[in-house]
Amino acid sequence: MSTKRETLTKELLELVAQEGMVEPSEITPQKKLEELDIQSADFVMILMAIEEKYGAYVSVDNELTDVVTVQDLLDLAISKIEEHQAAEA
Amino acid sequence: MSRVVVTGLGAVSACGLGADKLIEATQAGHSGVKPISFDDLDAQRVKTAARLSEADLAAVVGDKPHRMREPVAEYALAAAREAVAQSGLSEAHFGESCGVSIGSGFGGGQTLNINYMKFGREGSMRLDPMSVPKIMNNAAASWVSMEFGATGPALCLATACSSGSQSIGMGYQMIASGQVERCLAGGSEACLESGVFRVWELLRVMTADVNRPFSKDRNGMILGEGAGILVLESLESAQERGANILCELVGFGTNSDAGDLLRPNPARAAACMRMALKSAILSPDDIGYVNAHGTGTVANDVNEVAALREVFGDDLAGVDISSTKPVHGHALGAAGALEMIVAIGALRRQSLPPTINFTEMDPKIGIDPVSKEAKAKSVKAVMSNSLAFGGINATLIAQAYDQG
Repeated sequence: MSTKRETLTKELLELVAQEGMVEPSEITPQKKLEELDIQSADFVMILMAIEEKYGAYVSVDNELTDVVTVQDLLDLAISKIEEHQAAEA
Repeated sequence: MSRVVVTGLGAVSACGLGADKLIEATQAGHSGVKPISFDDLDAQRVKTAARLSEADLAAVVGDKPHRMREPVAEYALAAAREAVAQSGLSEAHFGESCGVSIGSGFGGGQTLNINYMKFGREGSMRLDPMSVPKIMNNAAASWVSMEFGATGPALCLATACSSGSQSIGMGYQMIASGQVERCLAGGSEACLESGVFRVWELLRVMTADVNRPFSKDRNGMILGEGAGILVLESLESAQERGANILCELVGFGTNSDAGDLLRPNPARAAACMRMALKSAILSPDDIGYVNAHGTGTVANDVNEVAALREVFGDDLAGVDISSTKPVHGHALGAAGALEMIVAIGALRRQSLPPTINFTEMDPKIGIDPVSKEAKAKSVKAVMSNSLAFGGINATLIAQAYDQG
């Protein structure tokens, strides 16, 4: 994993914890979002924070509805942010 | 119960001024989606909407905007004038015997937005003194009733994306029950204002790319605007004055999910379609075409197709389905009225409009809608669905007018 991606992963984990109102210590990549009580309304908050921080607009698509674990959400967010950054470059 | 017929259609939309322009655009698959930009939004994420062209907007609003009328009222008036002209109704046909039922999701969004911006930025207390009558949701219905002297019941349902369909349904019920002889019914929306647009962005249901209902790669809707108005009339009244009957409105169903404000429930949407079929005394086999709500959001399309399977059978054999939202956009409170006009166009032309932009079947829903181009088909009856936030469903059914 590149350093850039590690930083991004760390930032995103913090962001999910903050917007999902979950204790950062409780979040591990394998945990299901459901177990953390992160629901669709929290998703919208997380997506808003991603827009604010990275400038990437992520609308709800099929991939997003398939997200089950924290890792799924991180993978998707990273791919969308990288996609956005590539398009901006 | 009186039979209810349609004798006039009027529309204002991104496809142009007039119901024919709307029908023609949906049949040809010519999208009215255009670039849109708001100076107030420093970082606008979604850059398209099915808005009126500058020329059409100027033609409807006029050189000098009316002091007490918002675009939402002007759109409704323009559509109502067209529908009334087509129906051949004259002054003597209005009064108590004519109702007005025109819904809107947002009402006067423009004045509200201008006021918020002025107050928020400048702290100015010098806001538009006519704000209240311009913003109020029933302004469009009231202006239409005044224009024609329709002094029967005037209704304005504000049920989000079901406003237009439910309003037509209420007009249908008022005539069927004998309360009135005729009704100008439909919906109007002029929601393309910076603040409104931004909150739709925040809900993440708008696509930043292309609107692709039912497609695997769909990722949201495109907002639209406009108005659709139908002249509904009792069959007796239309026959008495020798009116040209466009079709018969035979069924209406509406219900509530009473579940989740945003997440739809397929069982309730199916129950709504069944209610409309029951009121039409038709079976699912009689419906040749469904103009779906088909927003192109993941949730709506999954829900709606599940509901359609419940009603029309797992294989959806015999019924053709499409969404025309990529052409006229999602016009919220006007959507149901514009789409009913599109469905009536399909019935009269015996030609089903395509779901443009459809690329690939989504294995999760497994539907292959009418796509790419219009499909010629002999259809006796058509259905139009509206499935709104708030869990409010509405279904309308029209069929070819049979003199027997």
